[in-house]
Amino acid sequence: MADIVGINGQREEFRVVGKPNLPGVLSYALATGVAKFGTDYTAPDMLFAKFLRSPYAHAKILSIDATKAKAIPGVVDVILWDDPDLMNLGGSPFGPPKSYLGTVAHQEKQEVGAIVVAESEELCEEALRQLDVQWEVLPHVIDLRKGAEPDYPVVRGPEDEGPPDMFSMPDPNAPAKQGNVSFVNKIEGDIEEGYKQADYIIEYDTNLPAFASHIPNPPASIAWWEDDPYHGPGKSLHIEGAVQRRENVGQMYHVPAEKTIQEGLFQGGKYCDWGLRMSQEITPLLAKRTGRPVRCANTREETFDFLMNERFCHLRVGFTKEGLITVIDDNSIADNGVPGSSAFGVAQDQGYGPYYTLKCQNISQKYKVVDSNRGKLYTSGQHCPFNWDTLTMAIAIIAEKLGKDPIDIAKLNLHGPTSQSDTDEVPSFEACIEAGRKYTDWNWHPARAKRLPDGRLHGASFRYQMCPRHAFSGYDCKLELRGGKVHMPTQGPCTGIYAVEANAMVVAEELGLNYEDVIVDFDYREKFTPVGGGSDGTTASSWAMKECANILKQKILESAIKAAENPPAPSMFGGFGGFGRQQAPNPLKGMKPEDLDMVGGNIIVKADPSKSIALASATQENIFATYSGRPPAALWSTGMGKMLDTMNTAYCEVAVDEETGEVEILKLSVVADPGKVMRLTSLESQIDQVMFFSQGCQLLEEYVFDERTGVRLNANMIDYKKPTMLDVPSVNRKFLETRAGNAAYGANGISHSLANTHLIIIAIYNAIGVWVDPPATPDKVLKALGKC
Amino acid sequence: MDKQEKAGGIRVTFEAAQAQAAAAIDAAPSLLTQYRCPLCRKVFACYDDLKTHYAMEHAGSILPITISLNVNDKDSEMLIEPNWTLLQALQYRLGLTGAKHMCERGACGSCTVIIDGRPMLSCHLLAVECEGKKITTVEGIAADKKWKPLIDAYCKWDAMQCGYCTPGFLVTAKVLLDRNPNPTEQDIKEALAGNICICGTYPRHAQAILEAVEVMARPPEEPKPAPGPGGPGGFGGFGGFGGFGQGGN
Repeated sequence: MADIVGINGQREEFRVVGKPNLPGVLSYALATGVAKFGTDYTAPDMLFAKFLRSPYAHAKILSIDATKAKAIPGVVDVILWDDPDLMNLGGSPFGPPKSYLGTVAHQEKQEVGAIVVAESEELCEEALRQLDVQWEVLPHVIDLRKGAEPDYPVVRGPEDEGPPDMFSMPDPNAPAKQGNVSFVNKIEGDIEEGYKQADYIIEYDTNLPAFASHIPNPPASIAWWEDDPYHGPGKSLHIEGAVQRRENVGQMYHVPAEKTIQEGLFQGGKYCDWGLRMSQEITPLLAKRTGRPVRCANTREETFDFLMNERFCHLRVGFTKEGLITVIDDNSIADNGVPGSSAFGVAQDQGYGPYYTLKCQNISQKYKVVDSNRGKLYTSGQHCPFNWDTLTMAIAIIAEKLGKDPIDIAKLNLHGPTSQSDTDEVPSFEACIEAGRKYTDWNWHPARAKRLPDGRLHGASFRYQMCPRHAFSGYDCKLELRGGKVHMPTQGPCTGIYAVEANAMVVAEELGLNYEDVIVDFDYREKFTPVGGGSDGTTASSWAMKECANILKQKILESAIKAAENPPAPSMFGGFGGFGRQQAPNPLKGMKPEDLDMVGGNIIVKADPSKSIALASATQENIFATYSGRPPAALWSTGMGKMLDTMNTAYCEVAVDEETGEVEILKLSVVADPGKVMRLTSLESQIDQVMFFSQGCQLLEEYVFDERTGVRLNANMIDYKKPTMLDVPSVNRKFLETRAGNAAYGANGISHSLANTHLIIIAIYNAIGVWVDPPATPDKVLKALGKC
Repeated sequence: MDKQEKAGGIRVTFEAAQAQAAAAIDAAPSLLTQYRCPLCRKVFACYDDLKTHYAMEHAGSILPITISLNVNDKDSEMLIEPNWTLLQALQYRLGLTGAKHMCERGACGSCTVIIDGRPMLSCHLLAVECEGKKITTVEGIAADKKWKPLIDAYCKWDAMQCGYCTPGFLVTAKVLLDRNPNPTEQDIKEALAGNICICGTYPRHAQAILEAVEVMARPPEEPKPAPGPGGPGGFGGFGGFGGFGQGGN
């Protein structure tokens, strides 16, 4: 076990942490439909709002005549982009005035030009139809490779650029932007020398598919203003549906946090798509203008943003006859999306790419990042951190060329725990592959070498990743002993990652309580939220909460001793001993905190556990403990793959029917080392989720654009195919606990890292001997086989 | 009661959720007592007066209609737009939000309700078509303690992550168990294949339903003293929304 920083990091025995099947604190509300999400809220006298949205992929509004729309009975307000209220809402204090709502749409269905407010949704739609809009249609980029050509029309000017994305990694030495193309290069080592050392050079293309986020609950908010004399002058803003951005929305309207109310506890699916939509920001303005509650909700078609951008990778990889990689030369064309898109999936990937897990230090990453009108990636792509499977594919191709097991190729190339020059084994990786070979009955074969009894071709694939843990966020924890019960105040609203529950389990573990004994107090005004860093934040936040729990424990023990030394006077009314009743001697009298422990809801004397007193009786004081901090920075974020702690591995077997092109996943297995399992049931579910995403993007999901108009043809859930229960096999999962992470008890996060774009694709290649780009639909498989 | 006090100590139990579901059903209005013009908000005592008002003030606009729906064994009269879906009527007139807006095209199952014993997609049904039919929403299932084992199993197995689509799954599962009290895993997959979960919880549903089947097959236990209700606060948040948002007609 690693030397884990923090109190009780080395704990060997766990009563609560790691336990399965503990219901979430809000699960019954979710299952029974009584939980309310942003789109569920209504209010008496409520108005509805809708944005004008562009029917074009790239267009500019020249003028809008709203006369007819305003005349419709039941239409309450039509706000155009140059309305002073919108001008005051957008822009920055340092630049020229800029409206919150632009006149140029950079993708189809982008909010642009006007907002209508009416007594019903239908009236909003009618008002939008009655707007007389003069559009100037502009050139668009849908095909990235065409958009990257030097003579292609430019689709974005400096005036369209917003502030740099928080995740962007500009290259100061890159060539100047040319047309639609920005250049981001990251070159390390000696590329030419790497080629010289190689016995073989392979060259291949990997296409990373764009696929949809579509958050299940359509983004929506409702807002109203109410009198609130208790928190200073002015009205309070009540907004539901702004999910975790209550304070940000309040700031847009110059409302202090204490006067910005959001009581809802449920924010729905996020998948690290943390971007707030305009429908979640605009309702306070509309409520202020109309004096009534206003609801604004996106439709499903309006919520089809990217969870991952498209990228075309062209790689040259040199390696020795043993399979040791000597050079990686990655030339990619990546989608920069519309203005405001996240740099994840683009230049950001260069920092966290898979190549730094290799002993090879000759690595060139040259990206052409192309401005496009395809769509937007909000904040971060959940799916695949990041271009990982360009390496997975290299390992598979090398294995195929040399006739060696890809696991052995991966093992040969993986550097040691401390640096790329470290030739030691990574214990977590070794444990994973040893267990994985047995668990999956691994028996790799060359391409097209195995047929199943029913005549279909069998294929297998292997993939490894490092387990990430985000430690970027600090956590402000607070615990309270009140009336003998331990309370954990928490901000909410919650996503589906059960992070609050994992924290409560750690508190229970440290304080000798049952999980059910820790009371979670949701209050939007509280500071603590365990979400930062997605589900991986669970392990980081619970590290901080562990520290807090131990501070509380120390205070409880001190208070209990104080109570033992100075017992309260007997009450006339029978409380705490009762008047005139002989009190039993307090076993804690004369003890020091280090003599005591908390076990089973009692404070016990360590030397004689039969001497104990119930926590509820031990002290009557109201005790608070706070802790602000974070665990030591994760290797994933500091080493960017150049250092390794806990790893995970995935294994896939498929059957491919050469006659129909149909692919069946026979077995999908994960052997992963999360360091320490915190909450088993949700950890398993996280694996299910990423594998579900992975199957969808490799077998079914695909954006279809009309290249001529730039319009998405399948931005709905009928034509865009998500897997159903009949489409996906269950995932076999096995967890190891090396305790090598550095969050609570040596845990690391795991969520994103198993998501992949090519595990199944590589298994298909192993079956049929030719590559099929994702999604590998039957027609594409047959085409690859030369059959259609 | 202070909102902060209500917020204290949330751990939603079956009984609390059941009480909340029952309260939502109770809060749905039964009879129309006033007719509010949806275009200008003037209020009328009877439908004929509203019709006259439309003819005089909003000629050319589509007149709202009155319908009566039987939802969760309760008749509710309401004034709606003729083109409203059942999903809209449930949310905007009855305040029942267990059926969820998601795909709006009948593709995902999140809005599933039971109509005359069959699982139906409320985003794809006109409300006016549902008059005279027996409609059960997830709130109706939650309020019936018979289904406690199913709901318990869903919670025990985390058969939800973000939880948005979960009521739709639960409604479909209830219909499955009504028809087939002993389903196989394959039966469950086929029955629930019309429900899409973007969090990928699929394996959990079969686990939960199979466990519920086992529990429901056991002989009933001796009745125990009923635990206290979980409080009237809405689980949308800290309690401010019980009844607020029932969308008066």
